[in-house]
Amino acid sequence: MGHNSCNILSSAILVFTLFILISSCDKSDPPSETEPGKIIFHFTHFNDGENLEYDTMKYTNAAGNNYLVNEIQYFISDVKLHNSDGGVKLIDEWNDIYYVDTDIESTQSWQVYDPIEPGNYEKISFTFGISEEKNQSLMFLNPPERDMFWPEFLGGGYHYMKLNGKWFAEDEVVKPFNFHLGIGQVYSGGVIEPDSITGFIQNYFEVELPASSFSISEGEIINFEIRMNVKNWFNNPHVYDHDEWGGDIMQKQDAMKLGCDNGQEEVFSIHELLLISPPGK
Amino acid sequence: MMNWKIGKLKRWNDGNSGKNYCIHLFPVFLLILLSFSSCNKTNKPEPFEPTPYEIEIPYGFPTQLNIPEDNPMTVGGVELGRTLFYDGRLNGRSHPDSMMSCATCHQQEHSFEIGTSRPHPFGITGNPTHHAMLPMINLVWNPGYFGWNGGVGTIEEDVLGVISDPTEFDSSPEKVLGTIKSIPGYKELFVNAFASKEITIDKIAKALAQFVRTLISANSKFDKYMRGEVQLSPEELRGFVLFTTEEGADCFHCHGGFGNPLFTTNKFYNNGKDSVFTDPYDRYFVTGDPMDKGAYKATTLRNIEFTGPYMHDGRFETLEEVIDFYSHDLINTPQIDPLMHHIANGGIQLTPNEKSNLIAFIKTLRDEEFLSNPNFSSPTEFP
Repeated sequence: MGHNSCNILSSAILVFTLFILISSCDKSDPPSETEPGKIIFHFTHFNDGENLEYDTMKYTNAAGNNYLVNEIQYFISDVKLHNSDGGVKLIDEWNDIYYVDTDIESTQSWQVYDPIEPGNYEKISFTFGISEEKNQSLMFLNPPERDMFWPEFLGGGYHYMKLNGKWFAEDEVVKPFNFHLGIGQVYSGGVIEPDSITGFIQNYFEVELPASSFSISEGEIINFEIRMNVKNWFNNPHVYDHDEWGGDIMQKQDAMKLGCDNGQEEVFSIHELLLISPPGK
Repeated sequence: MMNWKIGKLKRWNDGNSGKNYCIHLFPVFLLILLSFSSCNKTNKPEPFEPTPYEIEIPYGFPTQLNIPEDNPMTVGGVELGRTLFYDGRLNGRSHPDSMMSCATCHQQEHSFEIGTSRPHPFGITGNPTHHAMLPMINLVWNPGYFGWNGGVGTIEEDVLGVISDPTEFDSSPEKVLGTIKSIPGYKELFVNAFASKEITIDKIAKALAQFVRTLISANSKFDKYMRGEVQLSPEELRGFVLFTTEEGADCFHCHGGFGNPLFTTNKFYNNGKDSVFTDPYDRYFVTGDPMDKGAYKATTLRNIEFTGPYMHDGRFETLEEVIDFYSHDLINTPQIDPLMHHIANGGIQLTPNEKSNLIAFIKTLRDEEFLSNPNFSSPTEFP
């Protein structure tokens, strides 16, 4: 009797101990029955059909300005997948503002955390810049996003984009330009002084990527390239002339308006990349 | 739960068939022991653990600190570093005329640089350093680009460089280590810092780096303005507007502001000082990119009024000279940074009144608490 009870007891303790070992040292979840799809966005920068070359005065815009590009830094936010039944999925809602920097390779690839439900999607859209509701000062305390802050006097929050370069000006001098987009200001009496500001203009805009319908199946990983055609910031529908607007435009709403209008037309496009991505990568 | 199990086993051993129970229960007992040894180490006596040093993040400052994983901050490490920082025997020499510590040049009243008394500081041999000094201020937020050209990756690496640099300590790790080891009182400080009596040159560098990482300035008038505690004067406010507007002086793209209270991006720019670049130790020296010729770090503007002379070569003695340069004397070259968009006009073209306002704002970055904080000062006693 005593021996049997010992066996039962020892077995019970053995089971209990194994349970403790497993439950305390192994937290892995059981495998899910259906495997969702995954999306990876790759941000690339072009001038028409060619990969952008930096610091080379080889480009010409519609105004006839010869120019070079030194660096581009920008935010896109609220990336949405629109499915065929009218539903919209906001990607990575908990981290919905994404920073891209041509000098920082790690920012040029965004592995979307959210699982993507298999099915057909009609289009992809995003906000260029940051919406008024979300564009709050001091929300980015760490670099590199921090260095995009937009001064309080000019509306606060963050730059939507810094596109820095140089152009060969009409007086035959190479001059820097800072094509910076963000919150615009309304100045009374045409006096460009912070004391004259009577209001602010939210210049962020939505981009609906053309030809962005796609299907994703169970476990599929799709690599999308979101391509910026730099030239079109200056070409269409408005001709943006660096000689007219000069080196800085943060306090020139008319110039930023041209840029933002152009940004909605043919600057961004999407392409599916045929990359072989191992699962989980 | 552990006591409960032990109690049960003891009771069973008290019975008549204790031996059998032991045989049957031995593997179970072993498993239980294993379960605790694999997941819980509380059974062993705890070794001495140095007290961690916590850095409080000031309002608006970055939350990411650059503290190497192999050199966690400890209260003892900071105290050891502070003692070494001010100890004249640190350079491994013992003659009273040849002793030198970090504090010989990094003086608290000058925001831990030397000020204008020695535009080009020189070390023990009298040879001048390659560049003017940079202040030691808020370096715990430097992302790993130390010095004017960003060629030094960590403070620890910088310390080791100073020891051997002929323009600074002109010593050797062996001499420094030998001297510090020969001072009996240091053993206890190393134990408090690193839980070990062993003294190494790496630990000396780590302790110094820990102390330097505590040198935080975050209580200037501008900080108080950010926190809503004070208002800036009309002149200072006009200067702040100039500082942060493109049509004004446009300092903020490189030097920060409300959104970046470090008042530096810690990035490198060719700011239009020269037409020919002869300094072999500019940013180009580090990157090899020809566009980086003549580029240097944008220094923090905190306590800048105490850290002249200015620029990498100390060419300007006063803030007024610096503002005049940015206002009228910029030189356009292919390497000029695109952010210097006022270059076509030779500069930002400030009026005398605007210059005065701008300097008034820059002086709101004066942090007198930093300059006199006793935690940053020399200890009263040395080992």
